[in-house]
Amino acid sequence: MARRRDRARTSVRGYRDRAVRVSRLDAGAGHWRRLPRPVRTFTPVIALLAIATTYPFYLASLPSGNVPLIYSFPSVRSAVTILVFTTMAVGLNVVVGYCGLLDLGYVAFYAIGAYTGGWLASGQFQQVRFHFGSVGITHDARGIHISIWLVLLCAAALTAIGGILIGLPTLRLRGDYLAIVTLGFGEIIPQFVRNADSLHGFDLTHGTFGISPIDSPGFGNTVHRAVGLPVSYQQSFNADRLFFWTALVILLVTIFCCIRLRDSRLGRAWIAIREDETAAGAMGIPLMRTKTWAYAIGAFFGGAAGAYVASFNAGAFPSQFSFNISVFLLCMVILGGMGSIWGVVVAGVILSWLNVEGLANIGTWLNDNVFPSNHNIEVAKYQFGIYGVVIVLMMMFRPQGLIPERRRKRELEEGGHGTLDDGMYEMRGADEPGAGERGSPGGPSPRG
Amino acid sequence: MSEPATTPDSNLLVADDVRKEFGGLIAVNDLEFTIPERSLVSLIGPNGAGKTTFFNMLTGLYRATSGTILFDGHDVTDKPPHAITKLGVGRTFQNIRLFPQMTAIENVLVGMHSRLKGGIVGSVLGLPRVRREEREARDKARELLQFAGLRRVDDELAESLAYGDQRRLEVARALATEPKLLLLDEPTAGMNPQETVTFMEFVARLREQRPLAILLIEHDMKVVMGISERVTVLDYGEKIAEGTPREIQTDERVIEAYLGKAATH
Amino acid sequence: MNLYKTPTDFFNVFLIGLTTGSVYALIALGYTLVYGILQLINFAHGDVFALTGLFASSLIANRFNLDENSGALVILGGLAAVFLIAMIFGAVVNATIELVAYRRLRSAPRLAVLITAVGMSFIVQNISLAVFDVNFRSVPPLISDANVFSIGGVHYNWQAFFVILVTAPVLVVLSWLVKNTRQGKAMRATSQDPEASAMMGINVNRTISFTFLLAGGLAGIGAVLFLVEFNIRYDTGFELGLIAFTAAVLGGIGNLTGAVLGAVLIGLIQAFNEGLSWFAPGSDWTRSIVFGLLIAILVFRPEGLLGERTPEGA
Repeated sequence: MARRRDRARTSVRGYRDRAVRVSRLDAGAGHWRRLPRPVRTFTPVIALLAIATTYPFYLASLPSGNVPLIYSFPSVRSAVTILVFTTMAVGLNVVVGYCGLLDLGYVAFYAIGAYTGGWLASGQFQQVRFHFGSVGITHDARGIHISIWLVLLCAAALTAIGGILIGLPTLRLRGDYLAIVTLGFGEIIPQFVRNADSLHGFDLTHGTFGISPIDSPGFGNTVHRAVGLPVSYQQSFNADRLFFWTALVILLVTIFCCIRLRDSRLGRAWIAIREDETAAGAMGIPLMRTKTWAYAIGAFFGGAAGAYVASFNAGAFPSQFSFNISVFLLCMVILGGMGSIWGVVVAGVILSWLNVEGLANIGTWLNDNVFPSNHNIEVAKYQFGIYGVVIVLMMMFRPQGLIPERRRKRELEEGGHGTLDDGMYEMRGADEPGAGERGSPGGPSPRG
Repeated sequence: MSEPATTPDSNLLVADDVRKEFGGLIAVNDLEFTIPERSLVSLIGPNGAGKTTFFNMLTGLYRATSGTILFDGHDVTDKPPHAITKLGVGRTFQNIRLFPQMTAIENVLVGMHSRLKGGIVGSVLGLPRVRREEREARDKARELLQFAGLRRVDDELAESLAYGDQRRLEVARALATEPKLLLLDEPTAGMNPQETVTFMEFVARLREQRPLAILLIEHDMKVVMGISERVTVLDYGEKIAEGTPREIQTDERVIEAYLGKAATH
Repeated sequence: MNLYKTPTDFFNVFLIGLTTGSVYALIALGYTLVYGILQLINFAHGDVFALTGLFASSLIANRFNLDENSGALVILGGLAAVFLIAMIFGAVVNATIELVAYRRLRSAPRLAVLITAVGMSFIVQNISLAVFDVNFRSVPPLISDANVFSIGGVHYNWQAFFVILVTAPVLVVLSWLVKNTRQGKAMRATSQDPEASAMMGINVNRTISFTFLLAGGLAGIGAVLFLVEFNIRYDTGFELGLIAFTAAVLGGIGNLTGAVLGAVLIGLIQAFNEGLSWFAPGSDWTRSIVFGLLIAILVFRPEGLLGERTPEGA
């Protein structure tokens, strides 16, 4: 018997048996591949959605306090910030990932959104008394108090307008100059809000103190009596969860809009501009207008996210805004994959978590379990160095990101002809004179 | 300089005293050039004669230093490229400039950009009007790909196509802009003789089936002579000869320009 | 305050601006040299400056133990040594960054390299943070603040004059280097046409490394000079880098004389902004003013004061 088994291992039949077992796995994969495309796309999305939505419920049953490396899972409150930053990253992805415009000043949109939230939903402007749909505010409170849901829209719109204004003079600049100018705006606007507490005597932003408190989102008493939705988030017993689910909705809406845009005429125009600006113009795409739209849409979502987080934090403070944040968001887009929504979402969640509490937790865990007790290393202090390393490494070794844009993925699935790295680096400079005349480095090589 | 062969009314494009200077270098020197409607004309000349520079001026990529360019009755001298394309000028590039990370069909769809209307709100909301427009656009794009002789490559990335297919795709993309004038910049460069023949048959077929004029820059004399109604020869940015292929082939100045003075003696 | 009403204030502020401008010039030259040869904005340059400055300050204080009580000769000797060491340190760090990060991406699209430069900037900044922590560092007053001259109410002390004393010969040497030496010519050739230069036998890689070494060395000297009057922290490089970059752009990016000119102008603008408290917005707004200036230049006159309009392409 034993000898027979031994012979089976080396015999043709044994080989065939093993092959059959492997092929069953293959068959499983084949069955999966044979499902209609919509099912294949939607199943993981729905699964992810389910996991995310129910997070506050099962968080309590997750291990906490001594999880290896990360120490504990983020609280619901931290998760809100994570979702908001991820939303901003998706917005930045429209500008950098789809349209190829290096924006180093996205934090300006965050600031405009947050401060618009402050202007329209707080006691900042004591000179007037205007209420419209706000919740949790006494009837005679001074200031402008508009329903947060409306404020989100207004902030988004205002920020979009701001984006258009910033874009008008700058979008015709070349790539590296555009980056510097956006960096400039990303610095000017925060410095402005820090100092604008006495513009000819008028207090616009309350200077270094920022604007607070900012009103809470909510549905008011009437709606509460009718369908039971919470009156005012900040005053609810499960405020964190309410903020969490709303942030999730905002993120999903943003993702949805961006997917729709990517597959639309405008989205194609953006990607064409990214791929080859000169050719895009020659194909009838109005370059300035299209780039401005990318900017405006990116600003729109950045402003909405900014206003929301201002309401969540019940305040907008100048210390929140710095160049570091612009680079932080850029890091998410690069890590995730420029132009890849899901990549950016995953990278956004990871990096935001690291920023909010992850690095601190990892630091604590490392100090407790790995490093000798006299060498306490404050990991969180080096977070921007870590982000810098991430950026440099990704650019050098995997420029298409963790989850490449679907186009590159298709190429990989079909066993495409290009290598992983060359597609990214064949982009042409559109500003070359003699467009169409000289050969560009790395152009498609003759095949066949 | 030769008189336009047809009356001014039926000239689709009129370039008048067009000049392009780069610093001290005069690339195009007070050129007069017309393209009659529905004609197929060629522009040839030695390297550096200014052919592509002229092309780029026609399409708005360069702004002329002086002179005017009239297309279909409109003054396009100072118009940006996308506006000129919208008026009906389509082009291909000397060194293929497809969008590498977009599929063949997406490349063609981009060509349709100025002919479609779908906007932001409609796209995000998925309005039926926009959906229909997209569907119809895709059908049209597939037709164009078929017409250009590209089979089963609709969803392939442009950068992974064979060279000859890439050239055809560029033409398909240019056709998607619904041009009245199609500019082909050395479309058969890099092709072997057989590919060249097939490609030019495609151009001839194009000519028959679509109401457009074609301006061709070419190096390959066989291509030019076989298909053109009129040939213009540039040298150092100036027109040195213009006429039927037969006339050009025997023109002394042309031979001299290409082969140097010694060749004519 | 103006030339007419309060001439002494005016001249004092003017001299301050001139002095700061000189330091800015050394950093601005670094940006312009690298941009000229690679068309790359080396974001990390300001942070290399800061790191070198921090290193120099610890050298002076801890290794050489220089302070105001050391003898004059000791101070001069020590400073000379520090200048040399800082120059080498800055040069090596800068060249290493190019070797490690930018060289691999030589054929990548410009934006990819630019993004990498931003990443490198953060890495260098964090190294400064890791080694030198969040504190400001300066050096004890080694140069006396007695006046070189004092005409009417206009003073100019030795500390400030020292900056000019060092900067002027450095600029002269740099100018000679670029114009007359083989490496200098190689640099100029490569910045105009790398391919042709390679074909002429110029080792492009070595020339680029040399440029980074030079830029870093200049930053090192600038860092020590900066320490004489100001203090440095791990993030000082960011603001100074932007100021210096603006200066380079103002003068015409790629143009060496322009970098110096632009730097002096920016120094003056900053000095006037901060010195005239009742007239100008003040130091809170310096960053905004400099950035506003940068944006205005790039939008309205991207070639700067001394640059040439590039031949019109599109």
